[in-house]
Amino acid sequence: MSKIKAENVNVYYGSKQALFDVSIDIAEKEVTALIGPSGCGKSTFLRCLNRMNDVIDICRVEGSIKMDNLELNSRKLDVVRLRENVGMVFQKPNPFPKTIYENVAYGPTIHGIAQSKEEMDQIVETSLKKAALWNEVKDRLDEIGTGLSGGQQQRLCIARAISVSPEVILMDEPCSALDPIATAQIEELIDDLKKEVTIVIVTHSMSQAARVSQKTGFFHLGKLIEFGSTDKIFKNPDKQQTQDYITGRFG
Amino acid sequence: MNSFKKNLLKKRYNAERRFQWYGKIAIGLALSFLAVFMFQIFSKGYSAFQKTWIVTEVHYDKELLLIDAESPSKDDLENADYYDVAYKAMTSLDPGLPEEEDRQLIQMVSYKYEAEVKDLLLKNPDYLGKIVPIKLTASDDIDQVHKGNYPRDIPEKNRRVNDYQLQIYDMLNERGDILSEFNISFFTNPDSREAELAGIASSFMGTVFSILVCLAFSFPVAVLAAIYLEEFAPKNKFTDFIEVNINNLAAVPSIVFGLLGLGILLAVFNLPRSTPLVGGITLSLMTLPTIIIAARASLKAVPPSIREAALAMGASNMQTTMHHTVPLSMPGTLSGTIIGLAQALGETAPLILIGMVAFVNTIPGTPVDPAASLPVQIYIWSESAERGFVEKVSACIMVLLAFLILMNLAAQIVRHKFEKKWS
Repeated sequence: MSKIKAENVNVYYGSKQALFDVSIDIAEKEVTALIGPSGCGKSTFLRCLNRMNDVIDICRVEGSIKMDNLELNSRKLDVVRLRENVGMVFQKPNPFPKTIYENVAYGPTIHGIAQSKEEMDQIVETSLKKAALWNEVKDRLDEIGTGLSGGQQQRLCIARAISVSPEVILMDEPCSALDPIATAQIEELIDDLKKEVTIVIVTHSMSQAARVSQKTGFFHLGKLIEFGSTDKIFKNPDKQQTQDYITGRFG
Repeated sequence: MNSFKKNLLKKRYNAERRFQWYGKIAIGLALSFLAVFMFQIFSKGYSAFQKTWIVTEVHYDKELLLIDAESPSKDDLENADYYDVAYKAMTSLDPGLPEEEDRQLIQMVSYKYEAEVKDLLLKNPDYLGKIVPIKLTASDDIDQVHKGNYPRDIPEKNRRVNDYQLQIYDMLNERGDILSEFNISFFTNPDSREAELAGIASSFMGTVFSILVCLAFSFPVAVLAAIYLEEFAPKNKFTDFIEVNINNLAAVPSIVFGLLGLGILLAVFNLPRSTPLVGGITLSLMTLPTIIIAARASLKAVPPSIREAALAMGASNMQTTMHHTVPLSMPGTLSGTIIGLAQALGETAPLILIGMVAFVNTIPGTPVDPAASLPVQIYIWSESAERGFVEKVSACIMVLLAFLILMNLAAQIVRHKFEKKWS
């Protein structure tokens, strides 16, 4: 079942066009990986899905992006509500310079999700457990989040993202700043999370895309070259360009 | 390695060594200037913290005090006539002196000596009818003689202290009746025309009130302006124009702000003249651009990833700014504020224009009472001819410097606390 349906999305930075007629169907409760060389527009596309491009003054998005029949690329859309439903994890772990507890509790607080202190404690605990971080931090929830290791910080960011129970989580190269062990932990986590959440992940690592995703889209120079099941893209792609990129002949 | 390469390498090392030496010389020069400056001020000013007293005996004679009551009440003592008692206390130092020469002795103590005689009795009512020793504030000239600041070898007619007075002084000094004690009244007295009585209480309080008013006006306005400009305002020609003008404002000579204060605060709004309220507002005009620039710079320095994190969690712009960006920028903003206040602390010209240069011999209790400020006090005293004011000027500079150091210290502590919390 399709969760997000993008049609003919064009993105411009000033006069420079970054995305050309991208159309893509993202299925519910699956992991969709977006791969491609640097500067191909995959992150730009990802940021269209929670309107993070709004932050960039010169950025202009055209086309239609629908999530459950709600038009995302509309002036009338309440961005705050959208981002409550579409969480995001960034390339570089960016926990708030606050305590671990406050990091996870921030979203539920501003969206008024918890009615009481007990409920909030419960949300923090579940989120940290889902992010496989609870056992490591349960005794030091009042320590500063930025004091954790890189991998722990990224899992804290994931816990923060899932604290508001979003329907979709966007991940922008979440493992590029992490070592292989931390990467493996995050990948396991993604596998667990997809039971409940739709995940879109941008990655530079093709092996990661192959490991975690069910669908893969290959971007090149702002165009979606090919989109299909991960198996097909990696074993038997339709396009020569995809084949070349996957086998490492360019990129 | 060929000789060309060797030469080049040698040249590079030499250049670095030379550069380091230039740096050391520059720092050495700066430090020696500072040392000379400090030595000048301390060597001239330290004596202002000493006060000279003349000890004599006073007879609280009921008849001379014109007290009739058997057991006089406080009011009786308050209303008694101390002129004769005080006069006798001084003239008794040299009973042989003809009456028409009395003035020479009286001039050796401060003109307020009568009040000092009165105060002693009011504090100790049981002294009535007794002969007790009393400390009287020495006059400015005797004070300077005692501190060795007064040349004795110039001809008598050019001296404010004549030979007779010097003779009495030497006699008293030999008897141990000239005392030197810590000068509390320098800190508790307001300004006075008499150097021996002049203190910094009024100008100190004036400075404190001015700085508080300045902080209260400039900090909220500047921080709000900086937050709006940095986080909310659209980036266009108009905001560029505002930014350029804020930068220009920071470079405007302070006296111009003084004229503005005079023309608007005093002339249009009719605020009370010579008060820390007006002084503080005028100074806040000066401090405003400094704080805005510092606050904007520290807002800019907050990593964009924090903003993105908050926005991606569904925080509104306002929430992102207030929950994350502003708290993180506070240490920088605070140190900018302190720099601005430190500038304001030393500012003289605008305060002179709004009338804080007036002679104020009361201690202000509120920001709307007339007051001077420390730098203006330095300016006023440095214009006075009396020798006693020379040391007061240096002492006042020392107090101003101490004030500055204390403020910076407080700022560092506050800054440290914030940074600890947020790092």
